[in-house]
Amino acid sequence: MESNSFKGSKILLVEDEETLAVGLEFNLADEGYIIDWAKDGKEALDKFNSKEYDLIILDIMLPYFNGYEIAEVVRGKSPQMPILMLTARKEAEDKIKGLELGADDYMTKPFHLEELLLRVKGMLKRKVWYKTSSMVEPVYQFGKNKINFENLSCSSESKHFVLTQREAMVLKYLVENKGRIVSRKELLENVWHISSEIETRTVDNFIARLRKYFEHDPNDPKYIKSIRGAGYCFED
Amino acid sequence: MKRKHSLLFLILAFIFAQIAWMGLLGLWIYWYVSNYLIFKQVGDKLSPQIALDSPNVFVFVGGIILIVMIAVAMFFIFRNLTVQMKLTRLYDNFIANVTHELKSPLSSIQLYLETLNVKDVSTERKKDFLALMMKDANRLNKLINSILEISRLEQKRIAHNYHVFDTNEVVHQLVENSAERFRISKSALTVEGSIQCKCVLDKDAMQIVFDNLTDNAIKYSRDPVQITVKISQHPKKVLIEFGDKGIGIPQKYHKKIFQKFNRIDNKDIPNVKGTGLGLYWVKEIVKLHGGKISAFSEGKEKGTNFTIELPIYRTSKRFYINSLLRRTAKKEKEMEKTDGE
Repeated sequence: MESNSFKGSKILLVEDEETLAVGLEFNLADEGYIIDWAKDGKEALDKFNSKEYDLIILDIMLPYFNGYEIAEVVRGKSPQMPILMLTARKEAEDKIKGLELGADDYMTKPFHLEELLLRVKGMLKRKVWYKTSSMVEPVYQFGKNKINFENLSCSSESKHFVLTQREAMVLKYLVENKGRIVSRKELLENVWHISSEIETRTVDNFIARLRKYFEHDPNDPKYIKSIRGAGYCFED
Repeated sequence: MKRKHSLLFLILAFIFAQIAWMGLLGLWIYWYVSNYLIFKQVGDKLSPQIALDSPNVFVFVGGIILIVMIAVAMFFIFRNLTVQMKLTRLYDNFIANVTHELKSPLSSIQLYLETLNVKDVSTERKKDFLALMMKDANRLNKLINSILEISRLEQKRIAHNYHVFDTNEVVHQLVENSAERFRISKSALTVEGSIQCKCVLDKDAMQIVFDNLTDNAIKYSRDPVQITVKISQHPKKVLIEFGDKGIGIPQKYHKKIFQKFNRIDNKDIPNVKGTGLGLYWVKEIVKLHGGKISAFSEGKEKGTNFTIELPIYRTSKRFYINSLLRRTAKKEKEMEKTDGE
């Protein structure tokens, strides 16, 4: 296996199944990560509040607080924290709920070890990319709108507000691909990291939200334009 | 959310239908009374021979009976529907819990197999992993067996081997077996009280009851677990109180916990994994013995007390208990016969 440049990254593993947690801990530690294991929702929040982590692996069915509740708390405090949900639930609505609440990736049990390790690495890579690209040019301005991709704070004509991580990622992807038509499928794959079989309406909802924030008239968008049958295109 | 809406819709439809029936009934009465008076007045004047009462009253009363029957039928349909909806919800819960219970050990086993296949694992670690895999395989086996037991229980085939036992002796034995099975020290599971009476039970089935109660006490206790079983004799019944010092159960759930597939969804109670079947079995098995079970807890962190009431042999429920013994004797005879052949 190639050498892992993310060795030493701190991962909070939230899993109440001891046998699974021991196996995951062994494998993640073997990759060079530093693992902290929390066996229930309470412990997970205590650990999250007292230490710094680079990534959270989160089960959904947990004692005291479930994974969704934990994801919400984490998102509220640290919008950029990568969260990988690991769960036995397979239904699309569970997946969408998890992703909407702020999980960055979703894996269903039983999973393949190598896939899990690759996803963890991918998420750490994206975090670094997001941080460095935000550091080079953290503030982006279009029209009267200003967004700081680092702390996700925004200002438009008259109001100030904070974007969610996911909203920021959608906007960032569109901005980075300025002038090019980006399909819904492409957004789902690159921002949500899920297959396009899941309803593309999720993407439309996010676009509608972004238009409400940044467009003077959301029904006649100037920046985020719909291209019929193709997707969306961001124009400055 | 969806379900809440559909339930609200059902209730509204039901109320609306009842109002419609009652309205129709009112209109009908109004129409009948006003027309009857006119007919009577006009009829008396025109031809006093015409008899208006009998057939009209019959139609009128018949109509009212029919309407009442329809209203009652609607009420039953409505009640059935709500029960059905509740069952579907519980069944969904059950499927979600079972899926989780099946997938967790399965993914753990898969993880260890892949780890052993891909990674360089020391012999010592290998042994640990194999032990953990065995643990998960046992868990899977236990879960599958318990699902298969549902149908046996539903057909009342779970308890069929009833015999007369000395209550004191049998309770001690059942408690000891449970302690051994769950590896609890003797000091953590104690029996208090001594009685002199006999009762009729299926030992294997009663063991399931004791095992389930012990398992629950462990699951819902902060370490170390402390269980006390108190036996006492009353004029017609034996009381077996199974108490723990665990996290307790809020009062509103004292009855609900015995329902099939039901699991408590409460922030203060750790969401321990399970199928929602354990206490349902416990209740059904005790019922098959002619007994009763109830739960009581003074509140949060104050422990839970499960009280099992069993009839004393030859003192209460004689007919039922004798029928259990007769059934067992008959079965044993049949078995002997087939063995002899």
